[in-house]
Amino acid sequence: MKVREAACALCNSEWGDHWEEVDGQRMFFCCWVCARAFDHMVQEVKRRTGWEALDEVKIEGDYRGRECAAIRGAEAYRFRLRFDPETGELLVFEPIASV
Amino acid sequence: MVCGRSSDTYSALAEHILKWAASSDPGHVMWLNRNITKQKVGEEELSGLLEAFATDATTLASWMKQTFIERFYGPRPHPFVRALQRPTRATLLGYVVEHQHFLRQWVRSAASVIAKTDRRDVTSYEIDNIVTEFGGQGSDAPAHYELLLRMGEALGLPREDVLSTSPLPRTKQALNFWAKLAERGHWVEIMAAMHGLELIANRDLVEEGASMRYFDPAILKDEAVPEAVKDFLREGYEADVAHSEEALALVEKYAKEFGLQDRVRAAYLQSLDAFDLHLNARLERGRDYESA
Repeated sequence: MKVREAACALCNSEWGDHWEEVDGQRMFFCCWVCARAFDHMVQEVKRRTGWEALDEVKIEGDYRGRECAAIRGAEAYRFRLRFDPETGELLVFEPIASV
Repeated sequence: MVCGRSSDTYSALAEHILKWAASSDPGHVMWLNRNITKQKVGEEELSGLLEAFATDATTLASWMKQTFIERFYGPRPHPFVRALQRPTRATLLGYVVEHQHFLRQWVRSAASVIAKTDRRDVTSYEIDNIVTEFGGQGSDAPAHYELLLRMGEALGLPREDVLSTSPLPRTKQALNFWAKLAERGHWVEIMAAMHGLELIANRDLVEEGASMRYFDPAILKDEAVPEAVKDFLREGYEADVAHSEEALALVEKYAKEFGLQDRVRAAYLQSLDAFDLHLNARLERGRDYESA
């Protein structure tokens, strides 16, 4: 999966030094909350799409809510989500209908 | 400023924050992300950024306003504020059910200030505030709390149901913070933490950079909106400019006199985090009424 190398895979922060494996890939996160949130997001997308792996997740927004596009080959799956800022649990996950 | 730990210098504060950020502590990392920068910088640069963050504004009151605007009325306003521009019945009911708990804590916090202060202007201010928010002055001037319950009734939710509903976890978490501060904090910190939140309904913030008002004032003239809803919204719209400005002036005055500026900033930032949680809980509760 394509992720940022020098910043948190979820929130783009350069602070912290937390490394965790997501889908067998070692990734940098600013803290364990972002790591858990990112993992929840990836697993939820895989569950809903049936994809075995993701090429990339484009993420816009902040802790109050994010709009994302998961990419797999030529396909894109768009969704909105919000995490619990203290635990990284998914609070909201809403697919965005394709136009 | 971050976790309540006091530091004599910005350099010492930077050193403390860097130590915790390096160990990926979520509280310190998130504080940096939200308030200072997401870009990693060294101790000297962070020290300068922290000092600028705390002292950029000309006064403590203007710093509180600017910080509030950035957190709730910036380029990405809080989702509850966006929802309140043209609110649905569900949004307003979520507001009623969660906010009544907030107002109950409000009175406890104001009472705590009265119990702890020896300044007459502060005592008078808080008494007036409790009357406006909770006590009311007869049928001609019902309290904000009463207007809130009437709004719920006008939207079909009996007050018995509102009063018997426990707060959602996020509101409860926020209430715990304010209750603890009311118990252990200095009265100037409590005032800043509580009255700074009244800025949410201060319509004059748009003149200082807010991207929108708390709600679209056209609602107040909309014949389709129940009168009880307009009465509630109008009360905050008209009262909270004076309320928040007067309180901020008192906070400014006494934080300086007691040398509490940094503690006040820390309490205020934590209160903004708690308020953010509570506003999210209003939206979460509102979803219970979406299909009702």
